[in-house]
Amino acid sequence: MRAEGSETSVPSSDDAILIARAVATAIRPETGLETTQVSLLGAVIEALLDVRVDLDSLDPLQAEELAQTLAGYSDELRQRVVHLMVLGELVLRPIPPTVARRVAAYADELEINDQFVRIARRYAQGGFGLAWLDLHQSGFAEHWEMARMDQLKTTVKLEHQLAAGVEDRALADVWAAFEHHAPGTLGRGIWDMYRGRGFGLPGSIGGASPYLAQHDFVHVLADYGTNLNGELEVFSLIARADPDPKGFAWIATLIGLFETGYVADAGFFSGDLEERRLESPEMHSRIADALSRGRVLCDRVQTDLLELDYHALADRPIGDVRAELGFEPKSPSATAAGSPGAFDLAGMSKTQQAYSASLDT
Amino acid sequence: MRFAQRISVRCSDPDALLELLAEWDAGQSRSEIMGYIGTRLLADRDDPGAYMILAEFAEVDGDITAADEAAGNNQREETERWATKLRELVEGEPEWIHYDELYRTGITGNLRTR
Repeated sequence: MRAEGSETSVPSSDDAILIARAVATAIRPETGLETTQVSLLGAVIEALLDVRVDLDSLDPLQAEELAQTLAGYSDELRQRVVHLMVLGELVLRPIPPTVARRVAAYADELEINDQFVRIARRYAQGGFGLAWLDLHQSGFAEHWEMARMDQLKTTVKLEHQLAAGVEDRALADVWAAFEHHAPGTLGRGIWDMYRGRGFGLPGSIGGASPYLAQHDFVHVLADYGTNLNGELEVFSLIARADPDPKGFAWIATLIGLFETGYVADAGFFSGDLEERRLESPEMHSRIADALSRGRVLCDRVQTDLLELDYHALADRPIGDVRAELGFEPKSPSATAAGSPGAFDLAGMSKTQQAYSASLDT
Repeated sequence: MRFAQRISVRCSDPDALLELLAEWDAGQSRSEIMGYIGTRLLADRDDPGAYMILAEFAEVDGDITAADEAAGNNQREETERWATKLRELVEGEPEWIHYDELYRTGITGNLRTR
């Protein structure tokens, strides 16, 4: 155990094991850990805490013991440990109230007052509408009020982070000009992505809001596809790269939209439960790697990736921008798990693939 | 067991009614978790001007019933303030009826259940 006051956010390997034991204890339903919990959390813990564990075979660790273990660590680490627990319960359908209460008890013992713990409890209660209001308000709206806006290149004020795009000719012209950047630059990359998939440019009718379009630059830089699995990867990276733990709202929202159905519609994406996305160990590896890459970016950039001015970097080669910002390459495990690149056909949805094919004929 | 509170009212300004409920929900979403989990506002198609507010409650800690959570909610000052505003919007005295939930289709209606 580290001495009190050291305030570090990097646990020792011994303490990482204790964290894993506490996470497994906190999120365990009465019927035992579910396969997805074991595989996803195992991959995430290995990627973020650098220890390989089988969550299902660990000895329990109670909240008081975890609090003692983490006494000398930073508030941020303790909050992120709580988020591991919340991640472990958010993949359950439904969330047993006993699990939600147990996670809340761990958070209390760690003296972490976290809105995502509350949101999971609302899910467990069946209060999905109230949970969405809570998630929107706590995870996005408050964050939005503090965010800077000049990087978006628009004078049209958005009501909130998740608001739909509105027509803005000047903004559309800025985005259309990306076509004229040299091949291999960030600007041309984003243009190619939009053109190749038929995405409406921000500022044009039907286009994304300039705020949400920021995440498309991250698709190009992180080399993630634009189908729903790619969105899970890119928003996992963005979430963990945010120095504010509220970035976890992206993960909570996307899991709710695309895995559990806890979120029906988030404005920018509608729920899609057609496929099970978090059942495969491959997706667990991909998400874990995205979180790991996000953690590196968090340390290097120290700014929410959605607040960066990518327009100022648009004429630079993509490789240079990656190096400057500190994007790590995908891990061998994520690549082996089939994580497609931003321009790979496999990284597109069926609709995007069909649109792309129509351009070739 | 969940619990529901039905409030039947007559009102000539449903937008104000809706706004009152949305304002309540916004406040509840930011507060610590309690028994209240949401509301529906329903308009009577056969009786214009008649509305039903259905407020739902669930257990929080497992040892206090949803009905007791609702009873506790009724004692809160903000609930009383809300009820005062409601009375200002509606004609006559609202009718309050309390129900224990015996059945609900599926888990939530929207969740993945397979």
